Amino acid sequence: MEELLDGLYTAVLNGDASGAVENVTAALNAGAAPEAILQESMIPAMMEVGRLFELGEAFVPEMLIAARAMQSGLQILRPHLIAADVEPVGKVVLGTVSGDMHDIGKNLVGMMLEGAGYATVDLGVNVSPQAFVDAVEKEGDVDLVCMSALLTTTMPQMRATIDAFKHAEIYDDVKIMVGGAPVTPEFAEAIGAHGSADDAGQAVKVAQRLTGLAA
Amino acid sequence: MSSQTQERWSVEIAGMPHFDQAMDRIYAWFEGEIIDRPPVRFSAHNAFVEQQKGHLAGMNAEERKALWFDVEYQLDMFERSIEGRVWHGETFPVFSPNLGPDVYAAFYAGDLIFGEVTSWIAPALKDWDDMDALRLDMDNVYFRKIDELTMQALERCPGKYLVGYTDLHPGLDCCVGWRGPQQFCLDMYDSPENVHRLADLAISGFETVYDHYDDILKAHGQLSVNWMGIPTFGRMHVPSCDFSSLISPAMFEEFGLPILQREVKTMTHNIFHIDGKGVARHRDAILSVPEVHAIQWVQGMGHDLPIMQWVPLIKEIQARAPIIIDLNKAELDDFMEAMEPEGVFLWIATESEEEELELLDRIAKW
Ligand code: B12
Repeated sequence: MEELLDGLYTAVLNGDASGAVENVTAALNAGAAPEAILQESMIPAMMEVGRLFELGEAFVPEMLIAARAMQSGLQILRPHLIAADVEPVGKVVLGTVSGDMHDIGKNLVGMMLEGAGYATVDLGVNVSPQAFVDAVEKEGDVDLVCMSALLTTTMPQMRATIDAFKHAEIYDDVKIMVGGAPVTPEFAEAIGAHGSADDAGQAVKVAQRLTGLAA
Repeated sequence: MSSQTQERWSVEIAGMPHFDQAMDRIYAWFEGEIIDRPPVRFSAHNAFVEQQKGHLAGMNAEERKALWFDVEYQLDMFERSIEGRVWHGETFPVFSPNLGPDVYAAFYAGDLIFGEVTSWIAPALKDWDDMDALRLDMDNVYFRKIDELTMQALERCPGKYLVGYTDLHPGLDCCVGWRGPQQFCLDMYDSPENVHRLADLAISGFETVYDHYDDILKAHGQLSVNWMGIPTFGRMHVPSCDFSSLISPAMFEEFGLPILQREVKTMTHNIFHIDGKGVARHRDAILSVPEVHAIQWVQGMGHDLPIMQWVPLIKEIQARAPIIIDLNKAELDDFMEAMEPEGVFLWIATESEEEELELLDRIAKW
């Protein structure tokens, strides 16, 4: 069993999607608990990819293929997790703000958060303040809202979205995390966001802190 | 470098009586030498240009495209933006026909989407099987429009400004235009042989396109210049690879470097545009190409400001090649204090002519 979980870890880490599917299937057939497969193998693999990315030892293609392998494995695993009543650790709504089409960074953050056990609702790019508000209201049990912006000209949309949350009186119900290359912690604080992170690996740590999973 | 023995000529430009000295300073800079001070290019704040940007903001995509395509309008706007200006330092008035950075990719395939100040391309190559249909089309709408902008500008420029050639990105950035950046990242793992073929296709038309513009410009007594505004009498080019900020040095060496080597081959002056720390990661590979004669360093936003944090990197590059630095005038004194002037070309945003003269004085004492 140990071997299968190690194999799965390596497959996700190396972005080997078919290897991930094979190992998840084999681990399930060998009687592994779905939650153990996720927690002891797949999540640690994604965390390792995030760590390597932070260190500058892995780059965007490596993150993307690892995340793709994770998704492939998860497709097999998901029905078993549901059957075993394994709950996500939290629910995240994420999107790139209005006027901005950059989504590679946002996608990576989403994939890493999924890798860390969160359920994510991805609103895509060019998401208006109202669309963020609507999504949070519709989903109901959202813990964290993530906004991404890559353009200095669209950063103000983050503030506009936070203002819309205040206006809709849902600001106190969720935590808000912002990011993207031009975003600084000072900016995040000034607009009323609860946190920010420089890369997808850190984003998971900040998310865990904001949602009370880590100190 | 043979560029020193190139034939030179003078171009009459209103407000720039020192054209020849400015060119001398640029040629000295390429050699890592200084005549009286390092070259300086000013970008003046222009209320008129700002106002025009605002004008486009309220338009839909079709209306914006119509304005980008309106040759008269583009030239009128440019001429109004330079009206009555006196050109200090190595600041040349240059009109570069512009449809955005993806125009070279669009010469083959793909629709450009026009924003307020720039444009981008809708990826056209969904399926590798369609690669064979990708072909340089010198009769396509974008190519014809750039020709039209060039010819009109050449008619209107004498005595007032230089005309340059359009911004050409024939390397991996062109492939990204066809595939989209995220897909192209995956392609590098899924289909490396197709990535090589695509890059080969992208670079294959470059010399033809470059020669086309170079011939037109030279036939009109123009220099070789583009958006960067640094003219030479030979063949100047600005290679770049923004996409490389997303990939590892090993991948850049495998996919980017061979293209770069071909891109710079027929040029006399290549200034590689390093857009941020992600691209700077590949500086060893970039500088390993002997025809990369100089570097432009552009720092990013947010954490990547201010300039002083980059001094060690800038010094490292300066030791190997002449380098352009874009800095804020408030940072100038600290920067000059920390750096030696050899090989440095400064770009500074300014508000007035007095300010430009004062800055030139200060820089002359460096
Ligand atoms: C790829 C790219 C594009 C692609 C985007 C494709 C896509 N699907 O995303 C295309 C070609 C469409 C594009 C278009 C434009 N772009 Co662009 N683009 C880039 C580029 C090269 C890379 C961005 C990227 O994906 N980085 C990789 C990811 C992984 O990094 P990241 O996004 O920063 O994300 C990380 C962190 O920031 C963080 N993060 C991100 N989001 C979030 C969110 C949260 C909540 C948290 C916690 C963290 C977090 O974690 C991520 C992973 O570690 C950059 C230059 C560069 N080198 O950065 C320019 C750049 C961002 N673009 C720029 C510009 C100007 C444009 C255009 C206006 C014009 C143009 N022709 O380039 C258009 C605008 C379109 C629009 N309206 O949005 C400028 C922005 C300048 C500025 N500061 O305003 C840049 C910096 C290039 C430059 N130097 O001029 N672009």
